[in-house]
Amino acid sequence: MHLETDTIKEKVKSYILQSAYAGEDLILDDSLIFQEGYFDSMGFVMLISFLDEEFGVQVLDDELIEENFESINAIIGFIIRKQN
Amino acid sequence: MTHDKPFSRDIILLSDVEYVVNEIVLKLKQEVQFHLKRFGAVIGISGGIDSSVCLALAVKALGPGNVLGIMLPEKDSSPDSERLALKLAAQYGVEVLKEDLTQILSGFKCYKRRDEAVRRIFPGFDSSSCKMKIGIRQGSLYSNLPPVFYLTIFDKEGNQQDHILPVKEYLQIVAASNFKQRSRMSMLYYHAELRHYVVIGTPNKHEYEQGFFVKFGDGGADLMPIINLYKSQVYQIASYLGVPDEIIERTPTTDTYSAEQTQEEFFYQMPFELMDIYWYGFENGYSPEEVAAVMGEDQEHIQALFRNFERKRKTTEYLRMTPISDF
Repeated sequence: MHLETDTIKEKVKSYILQSAYAGEDLILDDSLIFQEGYFDSMGFVMLISFLDEEFGVQVLDDELIEENFESINAIIGFIIRKQN
Repeated sequence: MTHDKPFSRDIILLSDVEYVVNEIVLKLKQEVQFHLKRFGAVIGISGGIDSSVCLALAVKALGPGNVLGIMLPEKDSSPDSERLALKLAAQYGVEVLKEDLTQILSGFKCYKRRDEAVRRIFPGFDSSSCKMKIGIRQGSLYSNLPPVFYLTIFDKEGNQQDHILPVKEYLQIVAASNFKQRSRMSMLYYHAELRHYVVIGTPNKHEYEQGFFVKFGDGGADLMPIINLYKSQVYQIASYLGVPDEIIERTPTTDTYSAEQTQEEFFYQMPFELMDIYWYGFENGYSPEEVAAVMGEDQEHIQALFRNFERKRKTTEYLRMTPISDF
């Protein structure tokens, strides 16, 4: 499955906003979703499952780093790198 | 924020253990006898340091004849727990009884529900010959990302396999395992009500504030005498009250999963001696700069650590809440 960047962005953003019970004005594409407290441990585990179910992206141990998950933009970048 | 004391490595150690013990004992006696108007106390004893100190404090407050120690093993419990609990009861001269919870937990399908989730990750898992535990990986403590849980199994030869726990399996394993703490609580209340006693809960400061307890499980009790004590302080009091050395020297475990697992590995991610100092700095508003300088650590690490503590406290608030009733 290889999705266009815009489709990925739309799906990730919608998932993040819905899961965090937050409006679009609160979480921007580069907001630090973990550092700012929108997502906790359970949110992180659910996000990992979402990436697998929605994009077929399986997260490896050494990929569990901030650079891959800290914001909507980081997550989109991670999905694209994994799909390539 | 200004502080009376500069931050130091021994800032949390009690300077007058006897005074603190006497204060707790006095309050325990007043609450049980005059406020709650009960004849005594029951305590679940696991052979661990926290329940041992609670039992020793209760004996000092209420007398050995008014304290009942209850051992609550089940098929995954360490055999050491019972031996040490008996040693403790003998030391303080209290009555002790044993309630094996294995059949009760089987009735709840605790093991079956847990093992079903484990087998979705490791299809070959057989709980009669394999052991399992869940835990978090070291290294995430200074990260802004919350920890991720891993499932680890050991086959009968001791070979280990690990896998990140997907959310569905994580929730099922935790929900099933929590039958253990909730069954212990039910049994403690049975024996307490039978004697018109209170139930003494054993969580310490870290367990309570960081949410390392089961709501209405080990978090269900009438009094929690060591809830404001750091683990180092619990050890100081244990020595003062004469808790057997073997219990003091034992590594704290979760006593929840079939494979041996320390509390550090499962939850805290650092030795309690360090956790105590950092948590004290965090909750008393010492700056990451001052804490980092004393501990020889990187300031950014301490900042991330404090954020991690804040997140833990915030995300576990649900566990400490009483039912919402202001409707």
